[in-house]
Amino acid sequence: MKQKISEWMDGELAGPDAERMLSALREEGETRQAWRTYHLIGDALRDTQLLSPRFGERMAASLAQEPTVLAPSATPGLRSWRRYVMPAATAAAAAGFVGAVAFMMPLQEPGVAPQLAQTAPPRPTPAAVVTEPAAAPVPLPVATDDYLLAHQGYSPRNRLQGVAPYVRTVSGQALESKR
Amino acid sequence: MRGFALILFLGCGLAHAQSSPEALALLNKIHQATQRLSYSGTFIYQQGTRTEVSRIARMADASGAIEKLETLDGVPREVVRTREGVRCYLPASQTVKIERAAAHREFPAILPDQLNELPQYYVATRGEAARIAGFDCVSVMLTPRDNLRYGYVLWADANTGMLLRARTVNDKGETIEQFTFTQLQIGPVARDKVRSKHASRNWRVEDAAAAPANLSEAGWTVNADLPGFRKIDEIRRKLRESQLVGQVVYSDGLAAVSVFIEPLADRREIMRTGMSNLGAIHIYTREVANHLVTVVGETPAASVRRIADRVEFKRPQ
Repeated sequence: MKQKISEWMDGELAGPDAERMLSALREEGETRQAWRTYHLIGDALRDTQLLSPRFGERMAASLAQEPTVLAPSATPGLRSWRRYVMPAATAAAAAGFVGAVAFMMPLQEPGVAPQLAQTAPPRPTPAAVVTEPAAAPVPLPVATDDYLLAHQGYSPRNRLQGVAPYVRTVSGQALESKR
Repeated sequence: MRGFALILFLGCGLAHAQSSPEALALLNKIHQATQRLSYSGTFIYQQGTRTEVSRIARMADASGAIEKLETLDGVPREVVRTREGVRCYLPASQTVKIERAAAHREFPAILPDQLNELPQYYVATRGEAARIAGFDCVSVMLTPRDNLRYGYVLWADANTGMLLRARTVNDKGETIEQFTFTQLQIGPVARDKVRSKHASRNWRVEDAAAAPANLSEAGWTVNADLPGFRKIDEIRRKLRESQLVGQVVYSDGLAAVSVFIEPLADRREIMRTGMSNLGAIHIYTREVANHLVTVVGETPAASVRRIADRVEFKRPQ
């Protein structure tokens, strides 16, 4: 289920899976609790500014108090500021939601969690920005040490550090535990 | 020097931040110290939660230099580098892996002109001084101008330029890999300190037997397509005891990325395609035309991924 929640948050769940997830999330329970926790983890990872306590409740209450305008306004003069501000606010909120989903990182097994930091979507910069979504890391290839040895000779780091960068290998234990 | 100044000027046109001449001079000093000095010492390699202690020695004389690395933690391993190439001694499997230098393949790879191009892709500034392993060190920070490469902070002995600490940082400023000397002696080194204690053993030899190659003739399109990364070699070589593997290497002067292409036919183990990570190194594996394409790079995941995704095969006519 946890894998499914993670997929749901990444927008990767569709069809019956998505419907099942929606109905599970409608009710207070383990799934909803996990969903909340995952979002909290995501917020913490992204250093998101927290909203004031009970923001959601207060927002819902003030929305409920808003009169629903069913008729078109009679004259342009009657257009209130709200008609311009609210759609903009809605759009901003939607963008915020999309942003939150887009930036939500996939959840990993605890063992590989520290690697999230590097696979996170890179910050935008003026030069060539690569914005592929972060893929879930896979275990290192069995031949990693051979690839590293073959590669290391070409690393410019050798010119600054001598033979030291050759220390970059998978130690026996590390590979064993990842298999 | 005029060319250098011109490159500096062009570099400034790309972004507002400007490299300081002092910082670039320090980088050059570190570079020269690495080629010139003899030393022996102990350093710590940190990556994620992993910490490994190794011994290192370099003996430089008129006939060239010999360097040796010996891991003290974990699985024993010795790496000896001479002008002839690199030998990696693995006592656990009684194997010696050999990467020979060739006319087109020098170890360490020397690309002096690329050091001058660095200001186009990194902003070099002076960092904070520190005392490391008893040496008063000055530092240089190399901040990338885009998110295709990592940043570096290097601390070097103010006197000799010997590098005492090298830190790789990601775009959030987090350290993802670090080398730090805990003990270092600069000066003449005895020959036996750079000789492998396994040198005379009759172990199994795995020779890379690298030779220049042209992979495009075989139908492969490999293209870095990353600003500043230039192709520095294209070879066919052995990897383990496999059949020939193609290797194309790109570098921007501070980081390198290798593309390996090998036939899948006789691979028996299960292949996990996708991105994996080891400190500052990302490895991305995918299957193209019944071949395994593995990209190994000292860069963020996105750069490795981009190079891997552009590998194509078209049967030659």
